[in-house]
Amino acid sequence: MILFVLRRLVGGLPTLLLVTLLVFALTRVLPGDPATLLLGEEANPQLAAKLREQLGLNRPILVQYGAWLGGLVQGDLGRSIRDNEKVSPIIWQKLPTSLELAFFALAIALLLGVPAGVVAALRRGSATDAGVTVLALSGISIPNFFLGILLVYLFSIRLDWIPPSGYVEPWVDLRKNLLLMLLPAFTLGTALAGAIARFTRNSLLEVLSQDYVRTARAKGLGERIVVWRHALRNAAIPVVTVIGLQLGGLLGGAVITEQVFSIPGFGRLVVDSVFNRDFPVLQAVVLISAISVFLVNVLVDLLYAAIDPRIRYG
Amino acid sequence: MTRTLRSFLSNRLALAGLVMVLLLALGAVLAPWLTHYSPTQTDFTGLQQAPSSKHLLGTDELGRDIFSRVLFGARVSLVAGLISVSIALVLGGLIGLVAGFYGGWLDNLLMRLTDAMLAFPFLVLAIALAAVLGPSLQNTLIAIGIVTTPVFARLVRGQALAERPRDYVQAAVALGGGDLRILLRHLLPNITGPLIVQVSLSTAAAVLAEATLSFLGLGIQPPTPSWGSMLNAARGYLAYAPWMAIFPGLAIFLAVLAFNLIGDGLRDALDPRTKK
Amino acid sequence: MKKWAAVTLAIWALAGMAGAKTTLTVGLDSDPPSLDPLLSSALVDRQVQNQIYDKLVDLDANLKIVPMLATSWSVEGGGTVYMFKLRQGVKFQDGSDFNAEAVKFNLDRYRTAPGSRRAGELAPVKDVQVVDTYTVRVVLKEPFSPLLAILSDRSGMMVSPTAVQKLGADFANNPVGSGPFKFVERRRQDRIVLAKNENYWMKGFPKVDELIYRPFPDDDVRTANLLSGAVNIISPVAAKDLETLRKNPNLSVSTFPGIGYQGIYLNVSKGALANKALRQAFAATIDRDTVDKVVFLGTAQPANGPFPPGSVGYDKSIPAPKQDLDLAKKKLAEGGKPQGFSFTLSIAPGPVLAQLAQVYQAMAAQAGIQIKIEQVEFGTLLDRGTKGDFEAMALGWSGRPDPDGNIYDFVRCKSPNNYSQYCNPKVDALLNRARAIRVPEARRAIYSDALKILLDDLPYVYTYVPQTTIGMSKKLSGIPTVPDGILRFRAADLGE
Repeated sequence: MILFVLRRLVGGLPTLLLVTLLVFALTRVLPGDPATLLLGEEANPQLAAKLREQLGLNRPILVQYGAWLGGLVQGDLGRSIRDNEKVSPIIWQKLPTSLELAFFALAIALLLGVPAGVVAALRRGSATDAGVTVLALSGISIPNFFLGILLVYLFSIRLDWIPPSGYVEPWVDLRKNLLLMLLPAFTLGTALAGAIARFTRNSLLEVLSQDYVRTARAKGLGERIVVWRHALRNAAIPVVTVIGLQLGGLLGGAVITEQVFSIPGFGRLVVDSVFNRDFPVLQAVVLISAISVFLVNVLVDLLYAAIDPRIRYG
Repeated sequence: MTRTLRSFLSNRLALAGLVMVLLLALGAVLAPWLTHYSPTQTDFTGLQQAPSSKHLLGTDELGRDIFSRVLFGARVSLVAGLISVSIALVLGGLIGLVAGFYGGWLDNLLMRLTDAMLAFPFLVLAIALAAVLGPSLQNTLIAIGIVTTPVFARLVRGQALAERPRDYVQAAVALGGGDLRILLRHLLPNITGPLIVQVSLSTAAAVLAEATLSFLGLGIQPPTPSWGSMLNAARGYLAYAPWMAIFPGLAIFLAVLAFNLIGDGLRDALDPRTKK
Repeated sequence: MKKWAAVTLAIWALAGMAGAKTTLTVGLDSDPPSLDPLLSSALVDRQVQNQIYDKLVDLDANLKIVPMLATSWSVEGGGTVYMFKLRQGVKFQDGSDFNAEAVKFNLDRYRTAPGSRRAGELAPVKDVQVVDTYTVRVVLKEPFSPLLAILSDRSGMMVSPTAVQKLGADFANNPVGSGPFKFVERRRQDRIVLAKNENYWMKGFPKVDELIYRPFPDDDVRTANLLSGAVNIISPVAAKDLETLRKNPNLSVSTFPGIGYQGIYLNVSKGALANKALRQAFAATIDRDTVDKVVFLGTAQPANGPFPPGSVGYDKSIPAPKQDLDLAKKKLAEGGKPQGFSFTLSIAPGPVLAQLAQVYQAMAAQAGIQIKIEQVEFGTLLDRGTKGDFEAMALGWSGRPDPDGNIYDFVRCKSPNNYSQYCNPKVDALLNRARAIRVPEARRAIYSDALKILLDDLPYVYTYVPQTTIGMSKKLSGIPTVPDGILRFRAADLGE
């Protein structure tokens, strides 16, 4: 088990290295000079050239990459080009906010998705089933920015129930924090909820048609026990997979939601660092997102083993 | 195939999706005949008028007819969906075929590369690519196409790997058929089913991606109507002119939903396990 | 993270204990990137810097220079020597003394520190000399009348030399000045917290205990936060929201012309617009009143040039050009394109800018001129500007109190912000002359001469003067309306 985790972690390193290389290459081909951008109204060619030198931007790209990688190994992500702040604390400031959002989105998705999927599977072919399918696909199809705007319009502008957006740390005002998280978490969670509902339904249907379920039924176990204790457990694997696939993307995928609701999280950091050409921050953010995708995948593998005792990792 | 088709056609939701896509395509093609307003004709004396018999869906911040813009916007969205997915299909298909067929270090390299790309948050990659290429319809399509490529590469590789040991491929190789002919003649037809499903799902994602990039101002350039940029322009006027946001938003939603319905129906139709 | 949480908890705990502590929350449209005036290049930085630092001199509501850390000054040597008498008994927030040495330290730092964004505007300074503890002599290379106005801005901000020496590169994140508020903490894109400077030299000020800045890039969110009472004051207010705020009985709105301008760079060195007649043709299609009405709902002011009303350089006898389609057609014919022509207008992304560009597009189309709009990110836009790689570009200027700051670096041959690649020795000579004299009327006359040439050559189409817009709670008072748009909170009072 531990060996398996270790092997997975080591095995992921080349991919992560490739990710860092890709993002590095990408930042360097982005048009627009960070020095000029940083100088803004005060830009002039001499000053910009000096600044580029100061920031080490005129060194060969491979040298820059090597230096960055060297720092990374020592846990040093460099300093932001924009305000000279160290990158790690910036990341640590933003990460909890986005994790909170992702957590609530996932919670909402599970609460909506799993029951909907189960109901649809049990009433296969009924109007309920079709209704769930349409709702689930709608959840997947509705653009985050549209849903976000609609919710703001309805709940904040029309009904005036919820402040339109912003963020308050939970330790400052828990009630307000939760209230403010509601709409963005729902916005972010709908797509996941849809996917979960679809996969729960399909995978449950498949499991229900298998022998051991029939056996359990034949043994006279109540339908409820059969479904919730036996079938659902076995149907969970594909569902966990799809959650894993989407959860990894939630961190970076919250870009739009955070934008619409003015939440100062990871997604905003991504967009801002692209627009400001803040390479060190962008590199770190993408690296962290990639690591989170990767870690979630490992976690999903471990969950398989927990759900299905037949799966063993040597 | 006919059985699949029948199964698909018996799926009412999938059929509804197909009808929606056809209606959308019809609307896009017939746009000039469906409305007498030009999508770009401004009217500075009639800004942000509410929907009325004169302007079915109201007017926008420059006095343009929103109905006309939504219709013409369908062109951009459909083209964006289809072209960028074609790019991804061709590119990803080639990568997948080559990786799956030849295996070895080439497979390893290509798959690590797709892994790396998949590890990027989709939007981040799309934003960065759109920024690198510069904003225009064409570049937006390329950016979305590139971002969508890994999914197809993965899918095709997996299928190719599964087909490779089969007799007919081995026989073709033994008979000395050229590499390309084997690849195309024998492998492709066998992976069409899953590909079609993926194409429709990816088209949905691509329509969404175009709208998102345009929403961020990185996509289609004004005054060409794009649903995403219409929504972006509408954001500030939510309290004063909600129709500016609601109609293009609904259009995006319905278009994406339609492609997802088709994809979902196709998947069911092709999947032997979900047969009744 | 934990440490941060603990600090915040402590702050809030303290707040709870004090009870009567007053907090003023300000909503801005972006997050100030740098609090060190040396490194600052974003306009919004000045909002916060002006509370942390005092400047040598300040501006009043009429853009007149008034004393701040310098109590008086005299100009000698034909305009090449400025003698400043300094305020006594002022201490920086770290307890060190403010004196002539500190002034010299600051000005020398701005002039010579590597990467200084202030070096450009202080280039005319030759030497800074300490005469005695409270007297400083600034010696110029040549007469330079904008000096005082420049010292009313970031170059005149006095930071604590002790803190700079101690903190080095981290000073920007832990700034120390002598201003009414001292820095407490900042969370990127979220908030900057300042606290009352208990030892402020002006007795009885400031009146509020805590000042919090929050960035709300989204107009709706900014407005909503003011409406809900989460913030006490916001600036800017989006034009579309002004009416809503005005109607609210608890809020007051003030708008007044800013010191900047907006318009379009036309590249005179390449593309279709290198042809002067075609530039004139395009310029003649612009209807400034319509721009104001459609995009800004009547809150912007048509511009006749780079000097807004209130500036020393503003000449009210020069009217803002009107739309003239006949002239446009005549000029098209003169430029060899009677059927019209097309060019690309580059803009930064953003709904308002896109709307503005489409208004230009529609107006130009009336004369048969086709504009292709291209949204590029701000970074790319600046880059293209510096390289002269564009045809037309919509980009304005935030403005400086002295007219020199609105024109000198923009139209002179090879000057840093001369994106249009314009070069006219006559204009250069006029601008150099204008900065050497100090009599306002004489300067205005020279600027008007230069402006008339520019309005004919058209390296830039000045379209409108943006307004400074402020929305705030009616309880809030004591905030002067200075055209530079900076909210000065020294005397701000929440009236509680």
